[in-house]
Order: sequence, then C-alpha cells, then structure tokens
Amino acid sequence: MAHVVLKDLVKTYGSFKAVNDVSLTVNDGEFVALVGPSGCGKTTTLNLVAGLIPITSGEIVIGDRVVNDLDPKDRDIAMVFQNYALYPQKSVYKNLAFPLQMRKLPREAIDKKVRDAARVLDMTELLERKPRELSGGQQQRVALGRALVRDPAVFLMDEPLSNLDAKLRVQMRSEIKRFHQDLKATIIYVTHDQLEAVTMADRMAVMNGGYLQQYDSPAQVFAHPVNMFVASFVGSPAMSLVPLQASTANGNTVLTGAEGWQFELSPHNAQKVASAKTKKVVLGARHSTIKLHKSAVPASVPAKAYTVEPTGDVTFVQALLSGAIVNISVSPNVAVAPDEQIWLEFDQERMHLFDGETEMALKVN
Amino acid sequence: MTIVPGKTEARRRLQPDRSGVLRQIWQHRADYAYVLPAIAVMLIVIAYPIYYTVELSFFKTPPGLQLRDKTFIGFDNYTTILTSDVFWKVTWNTVVWTLGSTFFSFVLGFGAALALHRDFIGRGVLRAILIIPWVISAVAASYIWKWIYHSDFGIIGAVLVGLGLADRPPNFIDNVSTVLPSLIVVNIWREFPFAMIMMMAGLQTVPEQLLSAAKVDGASAWQRFWHVTFPHLGNVSTVTILLLAVANFNSFIIPWIMTGGGPSNASHIWITHIYELAFGRQRWGVASAYSVLLFLMLMVLGYFYVRALAGNDRKEGSA
Amino acid sequence: MSMIVATAPRDQTRRRMHVDGWRWAGRIFLVFMLLYTALPMIWMLITSIKSGFAAMQFPPQWWPDEPTLASYKKLLDPQNSVGRDFLRFFWNSLLVATATTILSVIVAVPAAYAFSRFTFPGRNLLFFAVLLRNMFPAVIFLVPLFILMRAIGLVNTHGSLVLTYLTFGLPLAIWLLKGFYDNIPVQLEQAARIDGATRFQAFILIVMPLSTPGIIATAIYSFIGAWNEYIYAYTFLSKNDQLTLPVGIQRFFSENTTDFPGLMAASFMMSVPVVVLFLVLQRYFVRALTEGAVKH
Repeated sequence: MAHVVLKDLVKTYGSFKAVNDVSLTVNDGEFVALVGPSGCGKTTTLNLVAGLIPITSGEIVIGDRVVNDLDPKDRDIAMVFQNYALYPQKSVYKNLAFPLQMRKLPREAIDKKVRDAARVLDMTELLERKPRELSGGQQQRVALGRALVRDPAVFLMDEPLSNLDAKLRVQMRSEIKRFHQDLKATIIYVTHDQLEAVTMADRMAVMNGGYLQQYDSPAQVFAHPVNMFVASFVGSPAMSLVPLQASTANGNTVLTGAEGWQFELSPHNAQKVASAKTKKVVLGARHSTIKLHKSAVPASVPAKAYTVEPTGDVTFVQALLSGAIVNISVSPNVAVAPDEQIWLEFDQERMHLFDGETEMALKVN
Repeated sequence: MTIVPGKTEARRRLQPDRSGVLRQIWQHRADYAYVLPAIAVMLIVIAYPIYYTVELSFFKTPPGLQLRDKTFIGFDNYTTILTSDVFWKVTWNTVVWTLGSTFFSFVLGFGAALALHRDFIGRGVLRAILIIPWVISAVAASYIWKWIYHSDFGIIGAVLVGLGLADRPPNFIDNVSTVLPSLIVVNIWREFPFAMIMMMAGLQTVPEQLLSAAKVDGASAWQRFWHVTFPHLGNVSTVTILLLAVANFNSFIIPWIMTGGGPSNASHIWITHIYELAFGRQRWGVASAYSVLLFLMLMVLGYFYVRALAGNDRKEGSA
Repeated sequence: MSMIVATAPRDQTRRRMHVDGWRWAGRIFLVFMLLYTALPMIWMLITSIKSGFAAMQFPPQWWPDEPTLASYKKLLDPQNSVGRDFLRFFWNSLLVATATTILSVIVAVPAAYAFSRFTFPGRNLLFFAVLLRNMFPAVIFLVPLFILMRAIGLVNTHGSLVLTYLTFGLPLAIWLLKGFYDNIPVQLEQAARIDGATRFQAFILIVMPLSTPGIIATAIYSFIGAWNEYIYAYTFLSKNDQLTLPVGIQRFFSENTTDFPGLMAASFMMSVPVVVLFLVLQRYFVRALTEGAVKH
C-alpha cells in the first residue's frame, strides 16, 4: 500500500477547467471519498490519478514516484468502475485472471490468486459464468475481485454502488468498508452520494465546480462546513439556509427576517456577524437543532408549516421562513397540520452563520 | 431557499486556454496513426483526381490520352456545354431518373419494412428474398431485365398480348417515351431493399412504451403510425433518402448496359453522358468540365448529406 | 367498472376490424413486392435451362419443353473457350474481391476506432471528408485515375482495381464500424489499461473481439461491392485474361447477342457467391446497420 499526493492538479478541456488546482494527500491505508454533485470534477480527478486522461498541469505522486507521465498499467493501481466494465466475452475466471496475465505471472500463480480472491468474495461457484449471466450485485463483486487479485498500491473506485438497488447498496457499502479494514488498503472512492462518503470514508473531499471545497473527516465536515455549498450538500435532509439581515442596536446584534420578525444573537454569534463585511447573513441550521413550538415562546420566530412528512421514527416538518424552506424534525406525537402557524427556536450553540455575499462560513476573528 | 452553487461556477470559465492548435496536434500525434492509412488512400485516389479534373476542364484536348498536347481555352468548354441542347435533355432525364427512383424505392422499401415489422411465419425467408436484388450485380440485373423487356421474346410483352391488352409485344426500351420509366423500374427493383433494410433497422428503435402509451390514449393504428412511429423515423428517413438520391444520381450501369443512353439520348443521364464524351468521343476537356459542374451540384446535395449525418453524430454524442 | 365491461366488446370488434384492414393491406403489399422481386429471378432461372432455340419463341414456353443444363455445362467446362474464359473471370473476381475485403478491414478498423474514441484536432473534418467520398460518382475519377494508374504502372493489373475499390468501400465501412465502437463502453478499455494492458493491447484483446459482428458486416459489404463493380474494371482492364465477371460477361455477350440462356446462366452463377454470402451472414449486416447507422 502507498500514499497518494495530488499537488495543484489542473485539467482543462479547451477553455473549460474541469479540475482547478486540487491539492490533497491520501495517507497510506486511508479511505478517502471524493464527493460532489455531477459535473464537479470528481470523476475527472480520479481518471487523472488513474492516468486515463493526461493532466494539464500539477503533480501526482503514488507511493514515492511521480506518476505524471506513466501509463495506467505502470501506476500500480486497480480501479472499479460504475458500470463494472467486466469483459463481456470472458468468463468470471478469465476476467479475474486478465490483470495477472498482463503482468506475465506463471499460470499456477494466476490460478491460485484467482481462486483465493474468489473464495474471499464467496463466488467460487460463479467462476465459469459469463458476466451477463450474473446479477448486478454479483457483477459488482467480480469487479471488486478483479481489483483485489492484483494487490495494487491504491484502489480507485468510481461510483461502484450507484448501479445497485437501494437494499444491495447498503449491503455492499458495509462489505467495502470491511474490505478496507481487513486489507488496510489505500482507497480513493468517488461518489455523488454524500451518505456513502460520510458512512465509509476516513476523510472526505467535497468538490464543486472543479474546486476542492473542503477536505476533512466526515464529522468535521458535518460539524464545521466551510461554506454554504458544503453545508447544504452534506447531511440529509439538507441543512436549512435562511437569508436574513443583520443590524446592531444598543450593543446587541439582531437578525431580521423578511417577515419583519427579529431575534437577538448570543455574544459569540454576534462576534461572528461582526466579522462579516456585509449585512446580509445566512443562517444555517440542521433539522435536529431547531425546536418547534405551537405557541410563541421567548427567542422564537413565527413560521408557517408547509408540508408534514411522517417517517415513523420522526416526523419532518417543512416550514416557510423568510422566503426559505426550513426542515425541522419533531417527535411523531406532535401533531402539525399544513398551513398551521408555528414558532421556531434556533439553538445558538449549534447554528451556522454564513456571509451572504461570499457564501463562506463566518468565524470569530 | 435554493442554494447558489458557489461562486466557483462562474470562475471556471474565465481563463481561456491558449495552448494552441499545434500543441494539441502534437499531443494527439499517436491518434493520427490510426487514421493515417485511410487518409493516405483517400488522398491519392480522391484529392489528386479532383484537382486533375478541374485543371483539365480548362483545356482543349486531342483524342487519345496524349494529354501533353492540350491547349488552354479558359471557359470555352463550359460555354459549349451550357449552350447545347443535349445538356438540357440529359439534365431533365437525370432529374426524372433520380427523383423517380428515389421516391419509389423509398416508398416501396418503407412499406415493405412496415409490413415485415410484425412477426409472422416465413417472415425471415420473405425478408431474405426481398433483399436479394440489392445484393446481385447491377450488370446481372440489367441483363435479366433486358431479357424481360425484349421486344420480340420478352415475357412482359407476351403476358400483355396473352391477356389481350396489346396486339403485339410493346417495345419498352427502344422507344423514347417508355425507355426512361422502364429503366427506373429496374433501378427501383435493385434499390428498394436498401431502403427496406434501413427502415427496418429504424423501426426497431421506436420505443414500445410510446406505442403502448398511444394505445392507452386511444390512438388508432394509423394515428399511432403518424404521431409516434413516423416522427421517430425522421432522421433515418433523411439519411436513407439522401443515400438513395446520391446513389441514383451517380448510377451508371443500368442505363449503360441496357440502352447505352439511347434511343436518341432518351435514357442518357449525366454520368453515362460524361462517360460517353470521355471514353467514347475522347473529348476529355468537355467531359472534365461536365464533371466539375456535376461536382458543384453534388456539393449542394452534399451539404444536406453531411448535415443529416452530422445531426446523427451529434445526437449520439450527447446521448 | 360495469360501464367498462359493457362497452368493451363493441370497442374491441371495431378495433379488430380496423387492425385487420391494415394487416390485409400489408399482406397484399407483401405479395406484390414478392412477385416484383422474385419473378424476374425466376424467369432468369427458367430461361437458363432452355435451349437457345426454345428461348426464342413467341409466345414463350412458360416452362421449357426440354429442360437442359447445356448452358451451365458450357460455362463450367474448362475444355472449351467459353468455359475457360468464364472460369478465369470468376477466379479474377474472387481474387480482387478477397484482396479488397482484407485490405478494407485492415484500414477501416483502426480508422473507425480512432473516429469513435479520440478527439484529435481535425477529427470531424477528416470524418466528413471520408463520408463525402461516397458522394462522388466513379466517372469523375475515371480519367485522372486512369492516368494515375498508368503513371504508377498499375493499368491492366488487379492492383488498380483493389486500390480503387478500397476507397469507395471505406466510407460506409468506417461509418458502420464507428457505430459499433461507439456502443462499446470506453470503461472496458480503461479497465484493461489499468489491468496492465497498453492501449494497443486493450484494443486487440478487448475491443476487437467485441466488434467481430461489425467487422464481418464490413467485410461482406466490401466483398459484394468489389464483386459487383463494373465501371472501373471496364476502364482499367483491357486484356481478356484479366477481366472480372461483370465486364467479362458483358464483353462476351456483346459478341453473342442472342444466346440468352447462356447469358441468364452466367448472370445466375455470377450472383450465387454474393447471394449465398449475404444470406448466411445477413444478420450481422442488418445488425451493423442498426447499430452503426440508425440507432442514435
């Protein structure tokens, strides 16, 4: 196993910049997820690491080698593709054997490794089948096996679970995680599903528009998103973002909603707002940090219930506030009707504040 | 509130790439190796002849291919052509031939494709039989039909007489008014299977769900065809019609073998006429000028041809 | 619910009548097309087993009184001059068509692959230049090509035909094959390259086997085109022992204008190889057209 370093990585297509100055380090044995909406450059980044497309500028290090100009076959990597990319004319056995044959291993060694991998992945009885005779989950497992037999320095995975149905996806998620723990493998895993990244990865790199937005552990990204994009992308349901107007009167900082209501910020949050250059502030709050009241209480703001979605354990209420939709989770025994007047109380300790212009998280200087 | 997807979105379009075409060509140098053989063959056999034809069209040439003795005469060859009666006669014949052949080949081929779309016993055999005329040589087809049209012993004439529709076997191809339609029938015989294959392939791509949806919405068989199937085949139809038109415009063998352009030029089309001018009467300069005119006309047709194919290519690219 | 039950039967009968109308129209149309297609070929076969005298009768003998295979025997007998010529033409055609086919595949496969996979500058321009070749009639190229062939010493050789046929077969061949390659997921090659193959190995080991149907279709197309070609062969070749079938037959029967049974027998035998080839491999051909030309 090996570490991977990306330094100022750039990929342009004509005048279109697909990947912009991405720098990150993947430690030996670490599971890193590249996550972002489609078109954010995550798959391009992975293909650059694999060597499937040439880089425009920057540097890629795998192990202790700069691999910028190496062919994919010389980079000591294995890759699992979204559509599995199993060779349709070859049996499962031959699919698994192919990378070993390409490396000119003796026949007995190939046979042993293929059978070992098949045993680990519990598909010995499938070896003589053709890919089209397998279910989606089985194909996925063969693709994983083909990466596994090689014993590469780095595993690259490009949305390997997105073609599976929901139930199988959850199951394969834990299998891949197990696989990582057992092998202590270095894995770079691309996904558009933030839940996969949060549940599986040691660290996640959130990308948007070709830029790396934030690179940290899932807990840190969840707790301290650096900007509004990361805040809204990570977590489900998404963090609610309410645009408000900040003002200071009598030494107190208050936020004013579009409906005219106001509430006063704690000294700590007031300090954050003071650091902003603008009076436009966006309040971010996760559903669990908002309390719903059926009548006005101190420090609460009036809102109107919009839809109510019971899920069994909790009930999600969407409310209209200052032109935005706010998600609140409540206990199922709280009865709320659509269009009902409600009052919301934000947890000042756990709320996020963003600069309305730059969209960056506000910090205490 | 909807999230503005970061200021980054706008930023990534700012810096135009100034790497230059040469550098790109250099980066892709290996890719050219794959197309090089094809391009080389094309250049030798296409670019050179085109250049040569244009050059020759401005010269008066002696008979025989001793072309060293040619003399420059400017546009004289072109004026000769455009003022001759034969030119307009042949042009009219070409229009009738191309439009008639293309229209009926397409309609018959499309009809056969539709009729063969539903499965029934013997469909495969029937389809195979209908394709055969397209596979066999145009020379063989010409002789078969020449024999069928024969003025004394032809089978069509005999049938017409036998049914009492004619007193004596009509003379199909030795008659200025019937020769062109008679040859068009032969051409359609050879060409409709191509349209049939293309349209059969196209029909397979009509989504069943759309047809089912139309059925549920209460559309009749004709309405389903007109509102679902037909619009879906627009692109295939365009390509097929263009390919047919180009092939028909360029056809040579059938009129050449069956009539040689006669009687009295009634079945001469552009290509046979040019061939006769060049290789029959050895008027290379005039024939070349004809070729250049033909070339210009084809460029107009070619514009639509490339557009249709390019449209096809683009759609596939975005799919 | 009850309303639906009540109206359904009447609705169904009406629809069935309607559908049946179209189906009958289709059947009648197919019968007509079958007669149009098959009768000329049947008449060719019937004539070919007549004697020269029996063919020249009015009204014609619908079925020959004395069927004879004399015309076929004459064409296939290496002892007499007619048979010797015919067999030589046949061999020449086979040679030219086979050489053209092999070369077409060798040239078209990499070109189609490149057009499908790579985005090099000028790619579209080259692609349409190749397609545009299809537009121009043989006649435009005849004179200059004849002179060119004479300059490089290929006149009166089969090489001149192979080179020429190669170019007019290539555009459609490349187009068909490109459609095939477009449908092979690029991830397969990427996987192979990561698994340790070079780009070329990935092409040979993974992509080529998957495009076999397309290659077969391309090969049939080239073979049939070369086998049937007339105008270049007619112009480039003058020596009797080098002629291909279409020209050879035309030469021969311009001298024997009344031997229609012989002509029909020759036409039949000339058609047999390509028709058999096509019928055996037609599913590849139709599939190639579907995937290459239409399914986008």
